[in-house]
Amino acid sequence: MNGATYSSFLEIAAGLVILCAFVTLWRRSLRAIVRTLAVQGMALGVVAIVLGVHRRDVVLIVVGCLVVLAKGLAIPTLVRRVLANEPMSRETSPLVNVPSSLVGAGALTFLAYGATRPVVALVSTSAGRLIPLGVATLLIGFFSMVVRRKAVSQIVGLLLVDNGIALVAFLATAGVPLLVELGASLDVLLVVVVLRVLAVQLWSKFAVLDLDQLQELHD
Amino acid sequence: MLAFVLLLVPAATGCVAAATPWRRWIGWLCTASLGFVLVTGVVLAVLVVHRPALSAFGGVLRVDALSAFMVIVIGAIGLLAVCQSVRYLEREVSSGRSSARRATLYSVLVQGFITAMLLAVVAGNVGVMWVAVEATTIITTFLVGYRRTRGALEASWKYVIICSVGIALAFLGTVLVYLAALHAGGVTHVSLQWTSLMSVAHHLDPGVMRLALALLVLGYGTKVGLAPMHSWLPDAHSQAPAPVSALMSGVLLTVAFYVLLRFKAVADGALGVGFSRMLFVTAGLLSLAVAASLLLSQRDYKRMLAYHSVEHMGLIALGAAAGTPLAIAAVLLHVLGHGLAKAVLFLASGEILIVEGTTEIDQVKALLARRPALGGVFAFGLVALLGLPPFSLFISELNMLRAEVHVGLGWVAAISLVLMAVIFGSVMSHGRHMLFGARPDGEVAHKSPLNVSVPLIGGLVACGAIGVLAWPLDTLLRAAAMVVVK
Amino acid sequence: MNGLTHVLTQVLVALFQVAAVAVGGPLLLGLMRKVRSRLEGRAGAPIHQPLLDLRKLFAKQRMRPRDSSWVFGAGPVVLVATVVAVTAVSPLVSASPPLGQSSDFFAVVFVLLLGSVLLALSALDTGTAFGGMGSSRSMTIGALCEPALLVAILAMAIAARTSNLPALVRVGISHPAVIASPARILALASFLVVILAESGRLPVDNPSTHLELTMIHEAMVLEYSGADLGLIILGESMRLVFLLGLFVNLFVPWGVADRPGVLFVGLGLLALVAKVCAVGATIAVFEVFTAKLRLFRLPELLAGGFVLALLGALTAVVR
Repeated sequence: MNGATYSSFLEIAAGLVILCAFVTLWRRSLRAIVRTLAVQGMALGVVAIVLGVHRRDVVLIVVGCLVVLAKGLAIPTLVRRVLANEPMSRETSPLVNVPSSLVGAGALTFLAYGATRPVVALVSTSAGRLIPLGVATLLIGFFSMVVRRKAVSQIVGLLLVDNGIALVAFLATAGVPLLVELGASLDVLLVVVVLRVLAVQLWSKFAVLDLDQLQELHD
Repeated sequence: MLAFVLLLVPAATGCVAAATPWRRWIGWLCTASLGFVLVTGVVLAVLVVHRPALSAFGGVLRVDALSAFMVIVIGAIGLLAVCQSVRYLEREVSSGRSSARRATLYSVLVQGFITAMLLAVVAGNVGVMWVAVEATTIITTFLVGYRRTRGALEASWKYVIICSVGIALAFLGTVLVYLAALHAGGVTHVSLQWTSLMSVAHHLDPGVMRLALALLVLGYGTKVGLAPMHSWLPDAHSQAPAPVSALMSGVLLTVAFYVLLRFKAVADGALGVGFSRMLFVTAGLLSLAVAASLLLSQRDYKRMLAYHSVEHMGLIALGAAAGTPLAIAAVLLHVLGHGLAKAVLFLASGEILIVEGTTEIDQVKALLARRPALGGVFAFGLVALLGLPPFSLFISELNMLRAEVHVGLGWVAAISLVLMAVIFGSVMSHGRHMLFGARPDGEVAHKSPLNVSVPLIGGLVACGAIGVLAWPLDTLLRAAAMVVVK
Repeated sequence: MNGLTHVLTQVLVALFQVAAVAVGGPLLLGLMRKVRSRLEGRAGAPIHQPLLDLRKLFAKQRMRPRDSSWVFGAGPVVLVATVVAVTAVSPLVSASPPLGQSSDFFAVVFVLLLGSVLLALSALDTGTAFGGMGSSRSMTIGALCEPALLVAILAMAIAARTSNLPALVRVGISHPAVIASPARILALASFLVVILAESGRLPVDNPSTHLELTMIHEAMVLEYSGADLGLIILGESMRLVFLLGLFVNLFVPWGVADRPGVLFVGLGLLALVAKVCAVGATIAVFEVFTAKLRLFRLPELLAGGFVLALLGALTAVVR
């Protein structure tokens, strides 16, 4: 793979990751949001594979394939099961309306570019220039966890945060050592399982879908 | 190798507990495994206090004086909590609130929780530390939600969401540290080891390290319960079963803080102490302020204890900000003292909840007169936590304040004294309400069962003893402090 | 002598472009209606029906509301005039149109905006309820579109280091990689959203409705009749062709005449017709399967467009 195709492949895959983050803010249907998440997971895997091919790093290619399987297939399937409970699976009343949150997400993207300047300066490869996109995905994930009120939206927000971090890790260091990578992925998978169990329990015992209904504990 | 055995024993006990239906002896077996942890901690401390660190598996596990000290903390407080779990589970099962299967689940999760914490403190690789801390989040989520009430599920939802996000940030911080280490000439597969990070600390890129440390403080700070990321803490600690609250408040918070201390040492090598001092002072003072303001009007005694933990985490953050060997030694002493006292108090509050059936401060009256043993433990526990002599928290708070003044953070010490005075006043008034008063006519003084009062009194005695006797702990504390202060 | 020939050719090219767009506009409308009706199972009017309609309208008498001022009459004229002006200088058929140096993307957008604003003013001028409602809605959409459009242009301009339209097209011809760059793709996606919104197509506005509650553009021109109405229809359709032509030339610049000569200009015209027809037919197909968005949901769509453009600009800056 020559330099130009490599970097344009990388750009498009990384661009797809951040674009999916925006789409999750844009859409209201939770099913569509979960589908977007799956696309994002696959794009993330493609980033790792492209990097692996470029660096002739077999481990990284394998990790990329695992990411496609885990984040593109397994995790979205798990989240989709939670949706089976919800008759009205739409994000009807986010705290911030959709246009404002899109503009807010745009502002966060700028913030990400500002905040990662030292990192980009240190890495100075064509992959390194895309690091802000990962940080922006992370910030958008935060944002959507704060403004969205459905249990599933919060899970999606958490996964956006995680995908953003994974993107940064791939772009900046071509992935952390395998042991840590595996541990981290397993942890994420388990967190999703835990959240799923909690969401199912909340729904089946107390009919709680909306986090605004969780108001019992306060000072 | 000893470090590996240390991890293996609680894990194996967990497996045994998983394989057999819950009986009382399983509980005692778990207690015994914690006793083993405590003894191993002491042995490890003796082994490494004046000698180089032990390591295993190519440096994935590594025990130095600091790790050994933390193992002792986990062992001591775990022993108290697991011992009380036996009584807790017996009551739950006999009252029909939970089945034997759920009791098994509880025992397994507690053992897993302790193993994960042990792994976090004996890991030599900061990535593995991260994995272990994240594992504690996952395991404790089910423990927080163990009672499966609406409040418990709400608390565990908030807990897992907030802590996962926090810990995700910490992962980003770790990745950035790794990036900086690679660019400082590190080798790929060992660059995440703490020792190799320390050896290249001076060459790490300052811009990246600044970002990384900020993320790490935010991330692990969430787990420590530092304001403003503390919001999960009162909910989780008030909803969890009392022994779990004791473990979380007494050890889990400080295990996360231990990881922060390690990273602070690396970052200080790259950036000097100024930047980390600013971060820790900000987080510490904010935590004190939040705790002070929310303790004033607290109506729930378990939440009161939880906010009190926020206060103490703020105090140790301030101590770490000072960063001198004296300050770090005091921080570590505080970690142990606070852990013991807080565990005793949470366990006592669990007992109060069992016998009084409420967590409202207003509903609990005249404990000292009605239940002398339990009331006495609670009273002395509060006295210990408020930092009065002879308990060790007095010594550690005093030394942290001294160190802060010594490094020119006098204003911080002054502000924290004012906030501590506010907290002192409000906790005193809540405590007075719960403890003092005349026994209602016709009610006889209740006795507390021996298996409650003996461990709790033992915990308090230990807390007092380490406050009075310097030997043998001070050698270990000094050695441990020197690990992270250069 | 050579200079004179040059000027003449340029004038001819300009006239040719204007003529092509003027004839092509109504024909494109006809084509889109035809595609729609076929998909809906109707035979539909012939493709040249809008041209026949225009001929009829221009033959009719002008009726103007009693209380209206000169603004009412100026609206349609300015609309057509602005479109003609930008068409003459833009790289539609030829990549080096007359006055190419001054054909700036920003300038073109603002000249077009002048036509829209005047049309909204003239709708207000009648003093009727529908006119006011229509122009208020239209200006709301315009206000939401404008930032997206400007940022989209900015993104393309940064990537190509110029905001000159012919240069933007020529960069596409000489460096195909620029077109495949995320900056250009995102910016053009945003540009397409804006085109649909500005020219009153679904899902923003339904061009074939006269239902009070939903119409936007039709409400503005309700008071017009005869030649005035003809001018408005002509102007609007020319603007659609112009914008689509610009879009396709920025996205797929192949075929645009990049050197003088009758043959090349003819080829350029053929390419343009083919590309615009394809895009127009696609839009028509899309409209069959789309419902109009509620007015309150429009900001979401346009904010989406804005964000796309913003991302494009960001990626362009970083490259």
